[in-house]
Amino acid sequence: MIEADVAVIGGGPGGYVCGIRAAQLGLKTVVIEADRLGGECVNYGCIPSKSLISVSRLIDKVKDAEKFGFRASGVYVDFVQLQKWKSEVISRLVSGIELLLRGYHATVVTGEAELMAKDRILVTTAQGTVEISCKNVVLATGTRTSSLPGLEFDGNVIISSKEGLDLMGAPKRLLIVGGGAIGLEFASMFQKLGSSITVVEIMDQLLPGTDPEVVRVVHRKLESKGVKVCLKSQVVRVDKGGSEANVEVETPDGKMTLGVDRILVSVGRKPRTEKLNLHKIGVQTDSRGYVITDNRMQTNIPGVYAIGDVRGPPLLAHKASKEGIVAAECIAGMPSAADWKVVPDAVFCDPEVASVGLTEARATEAGYKVKRSRFQFAALGRALTAGEPEGFVKIVSNEEDGLVLGAQIVGPEASDLISEVALAMEMGATVDDIALTIHPHPTLPEAIMEASELAAGRPIHQLKT
Amino acid sequence: MEFKLPDLGEGITEGEILKWMTKEGDQIEEDQPIVEVMTDKVNVQIPSPRSGKVAKILVKEGDVAKVGQTIIVIDDGTGGVQSPTSAPPASRPIPAAPAVQAPPAGPATAAVLATPATRRLARELGVDIATVRGSGPQGRVTDDDVRRSSQRTDTVTVQAAQESPPRGGSREELVPLRGLRRTISERMAKSLRTTAQVTHVDEADMTDLVLLREAFKGSAEKRGVRLTYLPFIIKAIVPALKEFPYVNSTLDEQAGNVILKKYYNIGIATDTEQGLVVPVVKDVDRKDIFELAGEIEKLSQKARNGQLALDEVHGSTFTITNVGAIGGLFATPIINLPEVAILGLHKIAKRPVVRDGKIEVRDTTYLSLSFDHRVIDGAYAARFTSRVIETIQDTKRLLSEVL
Repeated sequence: MIEADVAVIGGGPGGYVCGIRAAQLGLKTVVIEADRLGGECVNYGCIPSKSLISVSRLIDKVKDAEKFGFRASGVYVDFVQLQKWKSEVISRLVSGIELLLRGYHATVVTGEAELMAKDRILVTTAQGTVEISCKNVVLATGTRTSSLPGLEFDGNVIISSKEGLDLMGAPKRLLIVGGGAIGLEFASMFQKLGSSITVVEIMDQLLPGTDPEVVRVVHRKLESKGVKVCLKSQVVRVDKGGSEANVEVETPDGKMTLGVDRILVSVGRKPRTEKLNLHKIGVQTDSRGYVITDNRMQTNIPGVYAIGDVRGPPLLAHKASKEGIVAAECIAGMPSAADWKVVPDAVFCDPEVASVGLTEARATEAGYKVKRSRFQFAALGRALTAGEPEGFVKIVSNEEDGLVLGAQIVGPEASDLISEVALAMEMGATVDDIALTIHPHPTLPEAIMEASELAAGRPIHQLKT
Repeated sequence: MEFKLPDLGEGITEGEILKWMTKEGDQIEEDQPIVEVMTDKVNVQIPSPRSGKVAKILVKEGDVAKVGQTIIVIDDGTGGVQSPTSAPPASRPIPAAPAVQAPPAGPATAAVLATPATRRLARELGVDIATVRGSGPQGRVTDDDVRRSSQRTDTVTVQAAQESPPRGGSREELVPLRGLRRTISERMAKSLRTTAQVTHVDEADMTDLVLLREAFKGSAEKRGVRLTYLPFIIKAIVPALKEFPYVNSTLDEQAGNVILKKYYNIGIATDTEQGLVVPVVKDVDRKDIFELAGEIEKLSQKARNGQLALDEVHGSTFTITNVGAIGGLFATPIINLPEVAILGLHKIAKRPVVRDGKIEVRDTTYLSLSFDHRVIDGAYAARFTSRVIETIQDTKRLLSEVL
């Protein structure tokens, strides 16, 4: 039997970070991981997808590089080598996490954990059952892909994002069900790797919830690359035959039938709580099964905490990590709390989309006198010299005092750019603060400064609107 | 069983949990000290009433618990362990979040204009940042605003110092005002705020007393005590207190009475590593100098080790503060409430003194008497001090007092 101050169930971006922080604070810490440290993010999500996306962008750029005077022939993707490299990236990160946990003297137990009581965990490991007695438990089990009725995963034709990342070649004809973040990342990636793609989304826009102006840029780009996008549509019938399928899609313009080689279903995720005996222990969950906590990550049962995806949307690795830190600090008796103002997010489609804070619509609903200020990358030196002139930075601010309320960025490196606005918002900065900060030239973040200058009423590189 | 913070003595309604000497899951024995509690008088160690296993500690270090509030649950095998879902609100160091709430769509502090570091400072100081009026542009709440607000709040509780990283850059360090320091801070400010303090300074010739002490040293050693000047001074004060009863009194402002005390308990201001504490030597008029010397030695030892019991710091009627060993000429000591006067003793040094028209080298010292002018007038205080000095200088008279 292992005795611990804290047992973290799940070694993903929430759980392992929680484990490190708890151990740093002198708590005897055990992290239990059923599969591989790093969780979905490192092994089956963020990291492998970004590896493949980077390569897909590279080959796309090379193929399209003649206009830059760059001529190459015989360019193709060696999927065996690509997958090998991807695995190496993952392994390197996983062993890094292991090293950190070890270095801070946290114990890692590999096996499936079952929560028997709020202070007792049974772990089924390869070597047998291990019992853990703990004063505090942190639920960090995350979520798993959910399927659609009629579109159950078969690991062959109908696949999830996880299997989509392990493919040894680009499917010739790929149907993507779900036009959210994951669906669009796959659409952009496989389009570049050579697939012919159809995206079916039930809502009236891609990336539901995102600023429509932003989505329009991505939508247009997808269509310009030959991706077929069906909005307000759904798959009504699938006839599988061997390694392909005939699919019937109901669209606002009537029924449509298409033949595909793979169907990638990315329609959301659900909490992974089967082995936690939440009902028996009395831990409260919401109607969708997500664990309810306060802003110190504490559930209604003292000593039971929950972090990351298992507490519900937004399902983001970086949010899970911060919550892990909060939980560890609260357990150690520190006055920590999840009091951040914003949780930025990023979608690695083409062009990238990143947002933070309120959209124009949400800010108006919230009663602000909203000022929207956009700056197009087409007017920015660095975007042009990088050959990526699509998209814009949009700053949403409060007209009365210039406070930054939110930002949406669509365009090159949007995922990297958004952090500046996130920091500005956490600091309570105004558009003046950003406008008056010197940004190096020529760089992409200048677009944020330019949009802020417009918001402050003093634009230089655009005409006053 | 649930163990409640016991009644700690006269007028004490709450105490700050300074240190848990056990942790959850520990096996503890009956009478084993389990917690150190700081009241506005002193630190007390509270022993466990039972043997058993610590099931749950309900009040964190640094939090204030009320008398009668359950502070720990001990599983003593006599019945089910009752484990309350959360500590009572009085003890929460941070703005209490409801035990259960929907995943926060927008955290409560989102509307407050303050940097993440300022928000954390507010949590650490137990300040609800939403209630702080910001002094910065657009009502921005600054670190200073939070600190000011934390000082205004009576119920402020401060988190453990060791977990607060230094703030304000490498040239400043944030040390939370906590425990004894906080108590001293509050009591001293209250004393100056609520009384009319004046200090009277006079000089005493100690030459004969120095000799007298030398004479008694041997017999003190035989009794195993170290004889300082303090017992002699105490003995010189007693007849003066009897003659000037208002110096040994308390003003009951509400009732409009001055309470003259016919007993003589002397508080001895004692410097310890944690700060100033004032153990009390009781009924000094009924004890000889050897008993006084022994008692003072024992009490200051306990004070330094933080082992004073509550009744050892209660009930003084007059206080002496002795900084002679450190140096200085004289001072303006602050009255130890609810008393009305305090006597400062200072360095005894050889100084030139004019006696019978000649300059002589004598052992002299200064005495500083701070008194509450609401109760005592200057002339009265000066006469009291003169009487103390007369006794100190008149060896025969002192001799009759000390034994």
